[in-house]
Amino acid sequence: MQFREAQLDNGLKIIAEVNPSAATLAAGFFVRTGSRDETPNVAGVSHFLEHMVFKGTARRSAAAVNLAFDEMGANYNAFTSEENTVYFASVLPEFQTDCMDLLCDILRPSLRQEDFDIEKGVILEEIAMYEDHPHFRLYDNLMRRHFDSHPLGNVILGSAESISNMARDDMQAYFDRRYSPTNVTLVGVGNLDFDAMVDQARRTCASWQRLEASRVAEPSRPVGSRGVITDAKLTRQNIGLMCQAPSGQDERRFAAQILANVLGDATGSRLYYALVESALADDAQMTYSPMDGEGALMTSVSTDPEKVAQVLGVIDEVFRKFIDEGPGEAELQAAKNKIASQATLSGELPMGRLTSVGFDWVYRSESVPLARQIDVMFAVSADDVLTLAQQCNLPNATLLTLGPLENLPA
Amino acid sequence: MSDNFHIEVFSNGLTLLGRVMDDMSSAAMSLLVRCGSADDPPAIAGAGAVAAEWLGRGAGQRDSRALNDALDSLGVQHSTNAQSEHMQITAAMLGRNLPAAIEIYADILTKPRLEDNTFGPCRELIQQDLIALEDEPARKAGMALRERFFPQPWGRCPYGRSETLEAMTAETLREHVVSHMSPDGGILALAGKFDWDAARDMLAERLGDWQGLARPEPAAARPAGGAEHIAKDSAQTHIALAWPSALCSSERYYAARLGEAVLSRGMGSRLFTEVREKRGLAYHVSANYTSLRNSAGIFVYAGTRPALAQQTLDVTLGEIARLGEGISDDELARAKTQIRSSLIMQSQSTSARASMMAGDWYHLGRLRSLAELSEKIQAVSKGDVMDYLREFPPRQFSILTIGPEPLDTTGLALSGEDA
Repeated sequence: MQFREAQLDNGLKIIAEVNPSAATLAAGFFVRTGSRDETPNVAGVSHFLEHMVFKGTARRSAAAVNLAFDEMGANYNAFTSEENTVYFASVLPEFQTDCMDLLCDILRPSLRQEDFDIEKGVILEEIAMYEDHPHFRLYDNLMRRHFDSHPLGNVILGSAESISNMARDDMQAYFDRRYSPTNVTLVGVGNLDFDAMVDQARRTCASWQRLEASRVAEPSRPVGSRGVITDAKLTRQNIGLMCQAPSGQDERRFAAQILANVLGDATGSRLYYALVESALADDAQMTYSPMDGEGALMTSVSTDPEKVAQVLGVIDEVFRKFIDEGPGEAELQAAKNKIASQATLSGELPMGRLTSVGFDWVYRSESVPLARQIDVMFAVSADDVLTLAQQCNLPNATLLTLGPLENLPA
Repeated sequence: MSDNFHIEVFSNGLTLLGRVMDDMSSAAMSLLVRCGSADDPPAIAGAGAVAAEWLGRGAGQRDSRALNDALDSLGVQHSTNAQSEHMQITAAMLGRNLPAAIEIYADILTKPRLEDNTFGPCRELIQQDLIALEDEPARKAGMALRERFFPQPWGRCPYGRSETLEAMTAETLREHVVSHMSPDGGILALAGKFDWDAARDMLAERLGDWQGLARPEPAAARPAGGAEHIAKDSAQTHIALAWPSALCSSERYYAARLGEAVLSRGMGSRLFTEVREKRGLAYHVSANYTSLRNSAGIFVYAGTRPALAQQTLDVTLGEIARLGEGISDDELARAKTQIRSSLIMQSQSTSARASMMAGDWYHLGRLRSLAELSEKIQAVSKGDVMDYLREFPPRQFSILTIGPEPLDTTGLALSGEDA
């Protein structure tokens, strides 16, 4: 396993974790842009643009892009979050040149009006699709409530209204600003020829224009409010809680990962035993999201509407007990072992490793072998987790429920 | 892509399969035993799903909490699910923890506690899953379609119905599990970094005297088929439809997978191109091949806003019908490359390997190497795909829609009408 890095004159960074014994390679462009970088008039543009990147370039039509990926048997896709847009493909090593050529090409899309108009319909369908998934609705609304006026509260997909009103030239302007090579990292993992990858990127990407692409980073100020969204059509009550947590640059992020696992792992955790084992809820989980300068712990629970008061009481009790005592030694070890297994299993797949290597670089400009990351995680003590739990102020989390209930129980 | 498989059939009828992958750090287990949903006694339908929960609530010396803690302390990623034909238990972990995990699973299989006091919450969780389906119309459409398409009882909803869950008791469920979950015909596949001899010896010792004969399979009743609309004030209309395909064990299987790929694998495939790329009618449109041992089908799903639902259905059906007019050399070549690539990608996942091995043994009674799979796919000609399509033409549809308004399905050759 060898780590390599290079940079083009225009600022585009290229990094790779080369593993000659792997059967495949994965490569991707990590663009440091997402819904937090949008203004309200173009809400959802980052994600809409992600779709448009597959719709053709000066030398390829939309159909040609898709067929080129399919011809190499690539496993490919893209995703947009609050702060990253990632385009990735996994292929057999024999397709490295073709795959790099295609990825580099599509990152300068034509944004043709006709394609833009058709794709708008697809985005509106995607918005409607999430409307029929209560969990996603809860997430969007909880983020908005928790981060309030901070741009991390922006909904990734935007709204039907913002998408319908969006003009092609607005997207172009956003693209020009945010897809500057200084804001993009090309990442590779697996069985790849790094020098060839850099040569090819130089040929295709060196002409990309360097522009200022900064990110407004005022700290968020969550106030821990409580709210209800009533939807009489739903049968279950979905509960979400969110509190501040270490950022993606914070050393305490390993403790936060362990904290989320001890409290809210889906197959065995404090919340699991308190709520799911007894069937008070059919699902109870806590996830940790490290972000750029910010972080969040989200608890999500699905329960019967009439059990909400009881469930909220149990959650509060679990949180208060935890910030008094912290984790026990056995549950601390179990959480570490589960996180290590999960990281190992995901790291064995090129796509899993690609996102880890990419985000290590995007957030911290570092490359850390998986084994060393696991060692650092194992060094976290029970006290570290306890201290963090107290700092996160779990019992005063922002609370939102979605379901048939009209009011929150007192 | 050569594979060195290990196979050991124990005298109690359990088959152990192994594939050592020394380059990996992880090991995965996939176990298939009877007691899936198709085995549910009709009066207590949902039995398999409740049993899947109950099996985790204590075994041998360990009570519910101790059992779960034991798996957690080893960092095991695990799940137990009642599928149609099996109870499926999967686990993935660091390879060095496999022996300790085997000890725990041996207890779950041979000494499950199945105590009265843990039954209630398990049943209640499945009751909640059943209710929660109402909030997830896309998932509900898929389940309701399986119910129409597959012969009964194989298509039944694994969660049963509210009255059958209500009728279930600890006693009736315990009797069902004890009599149905037997080693006979069971399959346990291991893949990843582990010592085959040690694992085999340990399993022989721990599972060797697990006894019980497989119950006869339930009789297959003709599926309902046809069309059904479930009215719901949802944001999208959810369209799910299926028609018969070649069984996984049949010689036509490879041609079927290539036909499926031309229709729906990758963003350049026909359905994605015509429904999403050219017309923007849906975000999600896909076709998936699914095979049980006695019935197989191509399952299509599309979710779309109600005003566009009829057009989406019409375009989708048009593409399905057009498959019968032939496929191009380029399409066939692309589909072959895609499947070959994905086989190699799956070979890097210990979980995927273990599942593939267990599935092969169940459907074929033997294991296929990745090289064999790749060769079989490579050997399929356009003529083979056309022969497959003539034998399994897109007719005898079952269709299930959920949304504000029903769709016009009068032009559709429904199952039962031309059989």
